[in-house]
Amino acid sequence: MSENPTTETTRQDAGGRAIIEARNVVKRFGGATAVDDVSIEVAPGEIYGLVGENGAGKSTLMRVLAGILTPDHGSVVVDGRELEAGSTRAALEAGISLVHQELSLVPELTVAENIVLGTTPVQAGFIKKREMKKIASDALEEIRVQVDLDEPIVRLSVALRQFVEIARAIARKPRVLILDEPTATLTPAETDYLLDMLERLAGQGLAIIYISHRIPEIFRICNRVSVLRDGHLVDTVSISDIKPNEIVDKMVGRELKQELETSRTKVAAGDVVLQARGIKAPGVNGIDLDVRAGEIVGLGGLVGAGRTELVRAIVGADIKSAGTVTINTDGTMRRVNSYRSAISHGFAYVPEERRTDGLALTMTVSDNIALPNRSQLSRYSVLMRGKIGTFAKELADAVGLRPPEIQREAGDFSGGNQQKVVLAKWLGRKPDVIILDEPTRGVDVGAKVEIHRLVRDLAEGGTAVLVVSSDLPELLDLADVIHVVRDGRIAGTLSRDEADEKSVMSLASGESQVRGL
Amino acid sequence: MSQAQGIQLGQEQGGLVSRIRVTIARRTEGRALALLILVAIATWITEPTAFTAWEVTLGRVALIGLVALGLTAVILMGELDLSVASTLAVCGVVMASIDNLALGVVAALAVGLIIGVVNAFFVVVVGINSFIASLGMLFFLRGAAFVISNEEPVRLASRDAGIAFGKPFLGPLTPRMVIFIVAFIALQVFVTRVRAGREFYAVGGNREAAYDAGIPVRRRIFTGFMISGFVAALAGVINTLERTAADPTAGSTVLLASFAAAIIGGVLLTGGRGSIFGTLLGATSLGILQVALTLTGVQVDVQNIVIGLVLLLAVITDPNSLRTVVGSARSLFQGRSGSHPVG
Repeated sequence: MSENPTTETTRQDAGGRAIIEARNVVKRFGGATAVDDVSIEVAPGEIYGLVGENGAGKSTLMRVLAGILTPDHGSVVVDGRELEAGSTRAALEAGISLVHQELSLVPELTVAENIVLGTTPVQAGFIKKREMKKIASDALEEIRVQVDLDEPIVRLSVALRQFVEIARAIARKPRVLILDEPTATLTPAETDYLLDMLERLAGQGLAIIYISHRIPEIFRICNRVSVLRDGHLVDTVSISDIKPNEIVDKMVGRELKQELETSRTKVAAGDVVLQARGIKAPGVNGIDLDVRAGEIVGLGGLVGAGRTELVRAIVGADIKSAGTVTINTDGTMRRVNSYRSAISHGFAYVPEERRTDGLALTMTVSDNIALPNRSQLSRYSVLMRGKIGTFAKELADAVGLRPPEIQREAGDFSGGNQQKVVLAKWLGRKPDVIILDEPTRGVDVGAKVEIHRLVRDLAEGGTAVLVVSSDLPELLDLADVIHVVRDGRIAGTLSRDEADEKSVMSLASGESQVRGL
Repeated sequence: MSQAQGIQLGQEQGGLVSRIRVTIARRTEGRALALLILVAIATWITEPTAFTAWEVTLGRVALIGLVALGLTAVILMGELDLSVASTLAVCGVVMASIDNLALGVVAALAVGLIIGVVNAFFVVVVGINSFIASLGMLFFLRGAAFVISNEEPVRLASRDAGIAFGKPFLGPLTPRMVIFIVAFIALQVFVTRVRAGREFYAVGGNREAAYDAGIPVRRRIFTGFMISGFVAALAGVINTLERTAADPTAGSTVLLASFAAAIIGGVLLTGGRGSIFGTLLGATSLGILQVALTLTGVQVDVQNIVIGLVLLLAVITDPNSLRTVVGSARSLFQGRSGSHPVG
């Protein structure tokens, strides 16, 4: 996609007068400092990129700008005037609109009602329907998206919900538009559309703050970019003065980056351990799958393609309507029909939603690790406390839990460390097959590297590994073979040599035909 | 669609048939309506008198439904009000304890509002879970009703007014039915057309989003509990007038019947989904069922068994629940033959 020359010239340069400033903002949560003395300023017509690892403080800073959080120190200044701290209303009135990372729409209300939510036009308390619809359709027109105004949000696709959310921000006639990872759930075509839209809006003089993990997007639309790390502002640079890998360096720190790039050496795969045939379930339309001992099989595809549904059906966490799953260890093939039988036959399953499905957050790390290992930790059905402690400690050390305090509640740990706890509890069973669904989502880069290392160690130890990931570099880095899932079917299979971001994405988005398999 | 024109994100507008289908799919009352039709047909065949004596049936619906309508306002926000039945009793007793009828009615309704405010205070300001807060109120108010009434029914001073109240005054409609219909219309309009009422769905469906959008969530919750308390008080007033006495044990079955009506009507207990109209349908189903069973001579205990079954039927026919039920049943049978070595 080529740069549009007209937007390029109308877009202001960074030197223009700032419309919004964060001045020395500090925000602490309990003992942790999420944002530490950060100052940024954004000019009208500028698209300002904000990057950083998960937990670097990007979202927190944006929530301060939008008045959702009250800073412990510092202030937000719009047009030279200081905003009332921690007031969403004041921020809205000053023209700051935030498009949230989590969708913040009301599921049972209609598109129009959601767009005007909180600012519904009324007369004597009664909603002025015609005016409401006018505002909504104007906002949708502005972003050039067509959707039935009377449709309840529950009936919309994830992508459409994202655009409705943007329409809501636009309907408030903002002067500063903040988008927090808006493309996380979008297809490449939808992402393109969104980025074009943002350039157009910036061309009309809107100041845009754009948060994304996807560096290419930053380079495509942003004028300047700020890098946050551990709550500190590392640097703010003009986009023309920096290269993508330099941004990554600033994000992660140099020592980690080296490790990120070390790829796995191919191990000779053994016998087929996991065999799935003709799996059908809601969202899964007949899939065959083999995973060999020591092999890492990746499942790529778009969100909603049916990958999570597939692996849940394989382990028996959800019901499959057809198909068989067998596990082959020690020369015997055993059929897996329920989650319990899967676990007892040597499966381990690390679910996508670790906070709800993977961990008991109010239990200690030690007890969480003990959960699937009760039989080896008890005698005559009585759990032995002492044994649990040493057992859990060993595993927590093996996965590099930080801080290594196994008597703390699992909910106290960061996302990455929670995921390590989930891994630790399964490692204790020495699984023959491990299935990981988005193992590093919401995990910071450091923990990600460690989790990748653990997964590779497992494979090298002979475990059959099946990984679902929407993080393409991760998938390409880990997997020996990648099955790309689309519409509940395998759209194509790519070997390690064939697979790159382009080939996976084109299969996932249906731009190329089935090959392989 | 080519790249230059952007991407197609919206759906196509269809013809009349598809438009009707879409409208139905958007509603949450579908199952309640289906159930009502089912109950109505069954009644029509076995006990048509339930329809010929429709005043009786309507009276029963009004009895069950009124409190349920107010309760729905609270449930839509994802909160519970277990104190409605006790509110009904205590307000009746307060009313009968005051000799002047008009003053009594006003006092009873005021007490209902105050109970709503207290409930909301515990939920919103103190931050107690509404189940617990209103459970506390349930016991407190029931006890208070007994204390105020000295543990026996309080006779209404103006019996004539009570007797007159039980008679039809608008065609065949008794005041109870008229009040019920007015309350239904008022609440239906409130949650569909009034901004504050519409925002109940936001408070129940996505509270975080409601806060972020600048909706006064606390005020909405106060409003909801006040509606629930006021409507329960209204029901207490009607009961007292019709019986010309206030019984501190009144409304013992009201609490569960109200929740049943709302749930059958498709109102989600966790909030954000459902409608006043759905609750009306649920209450109507229950009312017809009760009257038909009574007319056929079925004992009250057996009636409760039937109502329990209907409630469960209504809940498990939710498409999501249904899927789970079918799935669990299948895995139960799969599991029995499972775990055998094959090959």
